[in-house]
Amino acid sequence: MTTLFRRDVLKGLVAASVGGVLPIPGLRSLAFGAEPGRAPILVVLHLRGGCDGLNLVSPASDPDFIAARIGDLRVAMDGKDAGYALAGGPDPKIDFRLHPAAGGLAELYQNRALAIVHASGLTNKTRSHFVATDMMDRGVTSDPDLAHIPSGWLSRAVAAKSRFAAMTAQGTLSGDLADMTNAMAIPDLAGGLPPVGGPAVSSALWQLYRNSAGAMASAGRDCLQMMAEIDPKVPRDPQGRIAAYQPDGGASYDTAADFARPLKTVAQLIKMDMGLQVATLEYGNWDTHEYQAGRFRYQVERLSNGLAAFWTDMAAYHDRLVVVTATEFGRRLRNNKSNGTDHGRAGVTLVLSGKGTGGKFYGPWPGLKTEQLDEGVDLAVATDYRRILTEIVNAHLGVPGSAWFPGYAYPGKLGLMV
Amino acid sequence: MPTPSDNQSLIFALSRFGHGPTIEDFSSFSRHGVQAWLEEQTSPPKGDDAAMTSRLKDVRLRIHYNAAEGKWPALDEARPLDMLGKPIDAVWPLLDNSATPRDGSERRRAVDEVIAATYLRAVYSRYQLREAMAQFWHDHFHVNALASEQIMLAMPTYDRDVIRPNCLGNFRDMLEAVAGSAAMLYYLSNHSSRAGAANENYARELFELHTLGRDAYLNDRYDRWRDVPGAMAGQPAGYIDQDVYEAARAFTGWTVEDGAGLDGQRKLPATGRFVYVENWHDGYQKRVLTQEFDPFSAALADGRKVLDLVADHPATARHLARKLCRRFVGPQASESLVEQTAQVWRATAKAPDQIAQVIRTIALSPEFAASRGAKLKRPLTVAAGFIRLTGLDFVPTEGFHNAVAAAGQRLFGFPAPTGLPDDDSYFLGANTVRNRWNLLLGVAQNQWGTGACDPSRTVPVGGDKSAATYAKQWLDLLGVPADASALSAISGAVGVPPTVSIEGMDAKRLSTMAALAVLSPDYQSC
Repeated sequence: MTTLFRRDVLKGLVAASVGGVLPIPGLRSLAFGAEPGRAPILVVLHLRGGCDGLNLVSPASDPDFIAARIGDLRVAMDGKDAGYALAGGPDPKIDFRLHPAAGGLAELYQNRALAIVHASGLTNKTRSHFVATDMMDRGVTSDPDLAHIPSGWLSRAVAAKSRFAAMTAQGTLSGDLADMTNAMAIPDLAGGLPPVGGPAVSSALWQLYRNSAGAMASAGRDCLQMMAEIDPKVPRDPQGRIAAYQPDGGASYDTAADFARPLKTVAQLIKMDMGLQVATLEYGNWDTHEYQAGRFRYQVERLSNGLAAFWTDMAAYHDRLVVVTATEFGRRLRNNKSNGTDHGRAGVTLVLSGKGTGGKFYGPWPGLKTEQLDEGVDLAVATDYRRILTEIVNAHLGVPGSAWFPGYAYPGKLGLMV
Repeated sequence: MPTPSDNQSLIFALSRFGHGPTIEDFSSFSRHGVQAWLEEQTSPPKGDDAAMTSRLKDVRLRIHYNAAEGKWPALDEARPLDMLGKPIDAVWPLLDNSATPRDGSERRRAVDEVIAATYLRAVYSRYQLREAMAQFWHDHFHVNALASEQIMLAMPTYDRDVIRPNCLGNFRDMLEAVAGSAAMLYYLSNHSSRAGAANENYARELFELHTLGRDAYLNDRYDRWRDVPGAMAGQPAGYIDQDVYEAARAFTGWTVEDGAGLDGQRKLPATGRFVYVENWHDGYQKRVLTQEFDPFSAALADGRKVLDLVADHPATARHLARKLCRRFVGPQASESLVEQTAQVWRATAKAPDQIAQVIRTIALSPEFAASRGAKLKRPLTVAAGFIRLTGLDFVPTEGFHNAVAAAGQRLFGFPAPTGLPDDDSYFLGANTVRNRWNLLLGVAQNQWGTGACDPSRTVPVGGDKSAATYAKQWLDLLGVPADASALSAISGAVGVPPTVSIEGMDAKRLSTMAALAVLSPDYQSC
């Protein structure tokens, strides 16, 4: 829930209001309290629904893999639909291939921006979307911890909580930011955030909300402040109309379809230089229980196009930007008879950075022989997702330790952040 | 005139179990009281009341789309809600685009009509509690209607034949109606599940979301069913993945007549109706919640046995009791109320009005009466409540729908099978709050063609009333404290000093004043 950055600034506004009517446009002249500059930024991308890591990055030549799955749910090694061969895989005997719709990701891998941690994920045995999502968001691995730790792991890990420190590019804060002060949920900036009902009505709303107690009044004050502070930063033409967002470096988000909006919102907020440290966004619909081949291709294409566009757009920030994906679980090795896959265990984690550590895999490959599988059916978790995130928080955000993951014994870095 | 505190109790009960009072409710309620209202509301007659029926018949909803070269002409017309009453086999053929190609809007129309009808019933139905319950069960047995065209076309029958007739009835009956509905069979993909490697999607959510609940998922005992507490006495405390796998096998063959091939020669007809395909069913023995299933049982028997087991499970009673208490009493509902509700749930398990009896238990509990202010109103309750209060002649429109959705409540469109969260914080993101304000101000200003608002029917003008007095009378009606700052805020919004007369003020500005009163932070909760 947002709570926030409201008090000091709005106190000033009360003093500034004349005759009981607050000149809301005047709010806009306030300076930002955030520290722009060179602070590192972490973007966490949630692939909600359980992304089939084995179909995104296939151990394409592994005979156990070939035996377990229909061809449509594996990346091919030859023919017109062959996937992208990836050098630097975790097992030299296996030909690891990126999905053929992931051309953008293949290029990022070539350019050493993209690193892959396969067989990674949550160590708890749950196959529930909602339990697994909540556990990952809160950084816990047991039911008792889940029951008594309501805050998100990011809200505990991010040390300097300046104003505008964190945002989610959707209507509601993501669970990993739960209980974080100064976090905003902004799904879209395409229309700016002008005052509702005009200045007189917004001013009346401010008067109605400024002194009330309770969550609604507090949320209302956040809303008024967000409009007042962020809206003026949205570029407008001389006539005051909002200009369509212009990505840098010739990037285009058009081919990312519905994944474009949250990416552009994150890009815009980063470029406002308001001191953003953490952004989360979501690209869902990975729960492919049936007819997976077509749906998965569509998803992968947009994921790949979107991330490639974002990385191009954000070129000026590569030295201080890391993007990491998270998904609640991977999917069953063996497909079902709906030509889909059910809930499994380990998935794949993608890490984008400008540190030059991409172009290879990190972490071990546990194998797909029955005795190597988790519970005899699923790719085992060989790299705890917390290990990846701890390294990023330590090396990138500069916060030592791993206390934000209760009870976690961090085994040391993988080398993702050098 | 009733006092603000009388109004508070009335508004509270009617906003929890409906969409707030109409202006008439203020007088009739004080005559008959909450208990009489509840009696009528928990046992409504089948179908809509007469006024509602004629409104649904007379309303027109716009449909518009562009031409497609050589396929269909452009269209822009206001059409009656023709699909609402049609059986599924009358709308399912719209999926076949080869004989008569049609724009996708013609298929989406099915869900658009259900949404329009939901808005109209929220505003006008005499049976407000049934509307609250229909929404509760739509959230509980959620299908994302936008996930596929089959689900869109299945929405009229899902709402009309599955959710509404059972929403105050018997849970076990509703569970089977849902399990056999085209909407759920498509949404959780059981329709394509086949013996051999069953699709686990529906079976998992049946346990986790529809019945026992995630608290009863004892996943650390993954494949050791004997280790589940109570298992050896045949009363397992919860479920494990093996139960999900076995239940998935039990539902193989539960599918939809959707034209799928049965073998080389034969195909299912394409009607959208439920069908059980013996050939696709995994007939071998199973074990679910410790109970043995004989091999090769009669048609549908395996699935029905699973439904019996999960419906009867004590964890289901607790899960549903907790959800209902949370919805109607609030997040702070006590464990003892949940337990009492669960007891009534179990004691009435065979009753045709099980759910109505459970609701009466909750509504008549002292805890309910003491819970005023514990729940944030959902966006539709705020908007429909304003419409009911002002008596504006409401017409549902696409613009209104988009505004409700932006405020956090996209009907039948939540992207996950959990349904819309019953959690205030979901609606309190800064941007979502902004859209809540926009929604109500837009209704007041007739921004989406929902009808002109004239708040003087509710709070009369005249007699040289000052702006502050007018604002105060609105706030008093709503049971909201009318301090000087609020009065000056509401007056200021229309550019009038508080002490100046509003004689001759136009309806638009009066509407802005009324809308701001309704947007008071205190009035967002009930």
